[in-house]
Amino acid sequence: MFFTVIEQVVNGIVSGSVYAIVAVGMTMIFGVLRAINFAHGEYYMLGTFGAWFAIEYFDLPYPVAVVIGVVTTALIAVIVGNFVMQRIVGAPAEAGVLATLGAALILQNTIILVFGGSYKFFSGGYIEPVTLFGFTLAEQRILIIIVGMIVFVGLELMVTYSRMGKAMRAVSQNIECCAVVGIDVRHIALWTFILGAGLAALSGVLTAPVNVSVYGGMGELITFKTLPIIIMGGLGNVRGTFVAAMILGIAESLVATYIGLQFRDTVGFATLMLVLMWRPHGLFSAQARF
Amino acid sequence: MTEIVREVTVTPAERTVAAGRDLRGPFGVALIALACIAPLFLGNYPLHAIIIALIFLLPAHGLNLLLGYTGLLSLAQAAFFGIGAYTSALLAVHFGTPFYVNFLAAGVVTGIIALPLGIPALRLRATSFVMCTLGFVIIGQAIAKNWISLTRGDMGLAGVPKPHFALGPASFTVSGTVGFYYLVLVIAALATLVVYLIVRSPAGRNMIAIRENETLAESVGIPTWHYKLVVFMISAAFAGFGGSLYAHYLTVVSPLTFQMYYSTTMLIIVLGGGAGTISGVIFGSLLFVGLTEALRVAPELRMIAYGFFLLGLVFWFPNGFAPLIGRFSSFLEKRK
Repeated sequence: MFFTVIEQVVNGIVSGSVYAIVAVGMTMIFGVLRAINFAHGEYYMLGTFGAWFAIEYFDLPYPVAVVIGVVTTALIAVIVGNFVMQRIVGAPAEAGVLATLGAALILQNTIILVFGGSYKFFSGGYIEPVTLFGFTLAEQRILIIIVGMIVFVGLELMVTYSRMGKAMRAVSQNIECCAVVGIDVRHIALWTFILGAGLAALSGVLTAPVNVSVYGGMGELITFKTLPIIIMGGLGNVRGTFVAAMILGIAESLVATYIGLQFRDTVGFATLMLVLMWRPHGLFSAQARF
Repeated sequence: MTEIVREVTVTPAERTVAAGRDLRGPFGVALIALACIAPLFLGNYPLHAIIIALIFLLPAHGLNLLLGYTGLLSLAQAAFFGIGAYTSALLAVHFGTPFYVNFLAAGVVTGIIALPLGIPALRLRATSFVMCTLGFVIIGQAIAKNWISLTRGDMGLAGVPKPHFALGPASFTVSGTVGFYYLVLVIAALATLVVYLIVRSPAGRNMIAIRENETLAESVGIPTWHYKLVVFMISAAFAGFGGSLYAHYLTVVSPLTFQMYYSTTMLIIVLGGGAGTISGVIFGSLLFVGLTEALRVAPELRMIAYGFFLLGLVFWFPNGFAPLIGRFSSFLEKRK
């Protein structure tokens, strides 16, 4: 009994890492653009498709496919960033919702149009099981946890010390003042967006070997799981987002085991509402930042 | 911190409509006359499209009260639409109650359910509120899917009867498309009238005050919290009425009634037509249907085109398409 709980918690940490990598990108985009990116899951999907395409059509090894998936997505993000995301800086909330929804529809249905809507088999990755401290885990899951930690530490360092990271924090605090002191807000917005989309793609490529199937509509579910995480974590808060992602991952895994698999996808929003009733500004901030 | 300050009290949509005031009367009469005789020259398919548009007009009117007049962006309309549809369908299937009972019950039940949902949700601001209302849709769908003893889960509830009216000895069933068209037309017209009366009343002006500056509104004595809660309930009730019509028109409800797509559809109707205007929302719901029907020629490209349409709407027509008509009618006026 106790052992199963621990096992489920470990599984939860794996899926929590997956959500965390997607969600930090989304929360940083929110911080800078003040827009909920309803298209964020689509970049997760695009990354997976890029890698799947590289493996299926060119027979490339998995690590190369990871790079191809992420780079392709980043290139698409450059286009979307230039034509859509940069233009919603300073626009009202409704505009952000509609524009990102439009982008999501276009990305998702273009992929379905090109590759068809059916499920595809993803054959890359390291799925050999290994035993660690008495647990049997697929190698890929361990890789996900490690990458999750690297991303977390890397982002913390970047946001704290690098010039770009400082500018991102500045923009998320006050756009007008940034413009006054000469920070190119649109430039920062674009790069934050590309970084976020790239991270989402990375998360997608890392998860693909575990999920095995790849399909055009997969991004939507990820968007819906990420939204509660970024709100719970406190919008624009990288550290809070990581904690919220872990909480959600573990909660989902426990609910799926002990209550029922069909309730798993509802856990996020149910937890969100309970958290918001208790702390209206998310778990980690005392006051509303946006 | 950075609040979006709207400089104008009167939205451009409202201003341009006011400029074309002289044309509004005759234009409205012509439109009503056209709506009454539409079945004479429209085939069944276009009529079906208009019925769907008029059904969606109800939740859109509700959302307009909430977003356009009170300034609250909610994605919960699909949840209330679904609750209305299920209330109506469950009553009809389990108790065999007549249409008007189901219809009224759907609106009332949805409005009442909106109260406990609105109290925690309305404490939140901006993005958190949007997400919380989206959560209602996701959780509503999960309940519809998993409370199998009540909702039959994914199989849905089939066999919701077509509206049946019995007045004394006379009774008739609205079964055909034309019959349903007139039923929906009457209900949509009544709903529009109700919205008009709300908006024109002092309450409507208080709502606009809350939209423009909530703190200021509160400081001059408007009970903003109660206003927001009541408007949230009214808008939910409108969605519930719409859901009831939808259930009785399609005669089947499924958990798919609760989907984000419907919420965004209603959002597009309101923002595309012109939030904060009644005519804009009517125009928006007809335009939306015209668009989806026109896009049906290429089903695989439909959603892509829809996405581009959304982007175009946001970037080129931030006030919706209704100001365009206003501009057109004032252009006609100048030529006279």
